[in-house]
Amino acid sequence: MASVTIRDLRKSYGGTAVIHGVSIDIAEGEFVTLVGPSGCGKSTLLRMIAGLEEVGGGEIRIGGCVVNDVAPKDRDIAMVFQNYALYPHKTVAQNMGFALTLKGVDKREIAARVARAAEVLGLTGLLDRYPRQLSGGQRQRVAMGRAIVRDPQVFLFDEPLSNLDAKLRVQMRAEIKELHQRLRTTSIYVTHDQIEAMTMADRIVVMRDGRVEQAGAPLDLYDRPANRFVAGFIGSPAMNFLKGRIAVNGTASFVTEGGIRLPLAKAPPASDGRPAVYGLRPEHFAIDPDGGIAVQVAVVEPTGSETQVVATLAGQEVVGVFRERLSAKPGEFLPLRPNPAAAHLFDAEDGRRLL
Amino acid sequence: MTDVLPIPAKPLRARVDVRSSRRPWPLLKGRRIGLHVAALALLLAVLFPFLWMVQMAFRPADDVLGDALLFRPTLENFASLWQGTFPRSFVNSLLVSTLSTATSLALGVPAAYVLSRWCFRARGRVSLWILATRMAPPIAFTIPFFLAYRWVGLQDTVIGLALIYMTFNISIVIWFMQTFFAAIPKALEEAAWIDGCGVWQAFWRVTLPLAAPGLAATAVFCFIFSWNDFFFALILTRTNAITAPVAITNFLQYEGWEWGKIAAGGTLVMLPVLVFTLLVRKYLVRGLTAGGLK
Ligand SMILES: Nc1ncnc2c1ncn2[C@@H]1O[C@H](COP(=O)(O)OP(=O)(O)OP(=O)(O)O)[C@@H](O)[C@H]1O
Ligand SMILES: [Mg+2]
Repeated sequence: MASVTIRDLRKSYGGTAVIHGVSIDIAEGEFVTLVGPSGCGKSTLLRMIAGLEEVGGGEIRIGGCVVNDVAPKDRDIAMVFQNYALYPHKTVAQNMGFALTLKGVDKREIAARVARAAEVLGLTGLLDRYPRQLSGGQRQRVAMGRAIVRDPQVFLFDEPLSNLDAKLRVQMRAEIKELHQRLRTTSIYVTHDQIEAMTMADRIVVMRDGRVEQAGAPLDLYDRPANRFVAGFIGSPAMNFLKGRIAVNGTASFVTEGGIRLPLAKAPPASDGRPAVYGLRPEHFAIDPDGGIAVQVAVVEPTGSETQVVATLAGQEVVGVFRERLSAKPGEFLPLRPNPAAAHLFDAEDGRRLL
Repeated sequence: MTDVLPIPAKPLRARVDVRSSRRPWPLLKGRRIGLHVAALALLLAVLFPFLWMVQMAFRPADDVLGDALLFRPTLENFASLWQGTFPRSFVNSLLVSTLSTATSLALGVPAAYVLSRWCFRARGRVSLWILATRMAPPIAFTIPFFLAYRWVGLQDTVIGLALIYMTFNISIVIWFMQTFFAAIPKALEEAAWIDGCGVWQAFWRVTLPLAAPGLAATAVFCFIFSWNDFFFALILTRTNAITAPVAITNFLQYEGWEWGKIAAGGTLVMLPVLVFTLLVRKYLVRGLTAGGLK
């Protein structure tokens, strides 16, 4: 295993820049997830680390050595491609064992390692099939298997579970995590899935439009997002945002555009009257018949373990999640009390965190 | 069996396809009988000259131009071919064709791969000029080749002839294979690089096997071109390196045309072409890249 250091990495296609100076430090053995909206450059970044895309500027180090001009085969990395890229003319077993065959590993050893990976991935009965005879999810697992039979310096995963059904995904998620705990191989994992990002990662890197918005431990990102984009991107259902301004006269509070006053634990210095965006996660609303703000319920979605309520607060839509089962009906009013200690404030213009 | 079928052409064909892949003789009814008869008639018309030649080859010498359909087939025409110089010409043909096919593939396939994968500025122009070498009429090259070969001593040699066919085939190889390579997703090579292949190793172990159907088609094409050529063989060979098609014309002599030998020779010359085509047919119909990508 090896550390991966990315410094001011740049890339453009033709004249269009798609990666604008990305810097990330990944320690030896760390599991990092890369998240961000579609088209933000996650795959491009991963492919540059793998050596499949030329570097437009900056440098990539694996294990301390600059690898900008090192061929992919000499980087000792394993990658799971977003589109699988299985060899159509090889069987599942041959696909998985190809890297080992190339290294000249003993045939019996290859068979044993392939069999072990196949067992983990639930592919045991399929080893003699060709990729065209597999379902999408099975192909994805073969692509996964091709990476995990190896013992590389770094694992690169590009949305490796996107095609699996919910149950299998949870199961595979646990397998990958368990694998990582056993092997401690540095891993970079691209995903769209919130839960995957949060549960698997030692650290999450949030990207947007070819830039890193924030990098940090999952709960740090959740609790203290650096800006409104990260706040909205991490967490599901997403954080509620209300526009308005800060008011400080004795106690700090936030006044929404509809004139509703929300308490704040504290305000940033010298911010009275400043336009801002108030952010609150859905689970930080409580139902309080005494001091709550009356909001009109639009939709009630019980999931069994919790109840999700979509409501209108001062003309803006908010979502609340409650552990208790609610009997509220659409159209009724619900007294909600935001938890002031959990509120976030963001700049109205550039979305940067104020508090 | 369901009732058939006065419905539009498309679903009809789809349904019959399924059926005919299961049973050798699909149900013949009404319109379909007409179609089959027409196809058969067309086939006979096209094959008639060829079939006529074949039956001539088996006729006894005194009845070679006879038209009675019933005769006692004999191998005497083939036997007399065997005694002359024809076997040598036949071997020459095989040698020349195989050699030129092998060399043009060995040189053309890597070139095609590079042209399909490596984006450099003059790529389009290079491809076009390679094809242009094939567009010029052969007669334009004849005199230069003839003089040059006499000078370097390649006249009337198997190698010399193979070289010429190679120069013609290589442009075809490059053009064909470039398209076949372009159809193979680059992602598969990238996966191979990650798995530890170098550029040529990925080509050899992943790309080329996937291009096998195209490679087979191209090889057949090259072989048949070399095999069928008459023009260059006539001009550049005299005795040693004479090829089968030229040898056959030697049976057209002042003192009489040896029809039996001509027919037998013609039949033999057809043979490798048939065999080759049947051998690669299996490859030509099958796509190999299915299932590799999402
Ligand atoms: N070969 C290419 N030529 C030109 N532009 C490209 C090329 N490959 C990617 N891009 C552009 O680079 C940007 C980043 O693409 P990339 O595939 O890295 O996104 P992504 O974050 O992986 O998205 P997704 O989550 O949808 O997979 C996109 O805007 C895309 O249009
Ligand atoms: Mg992607």
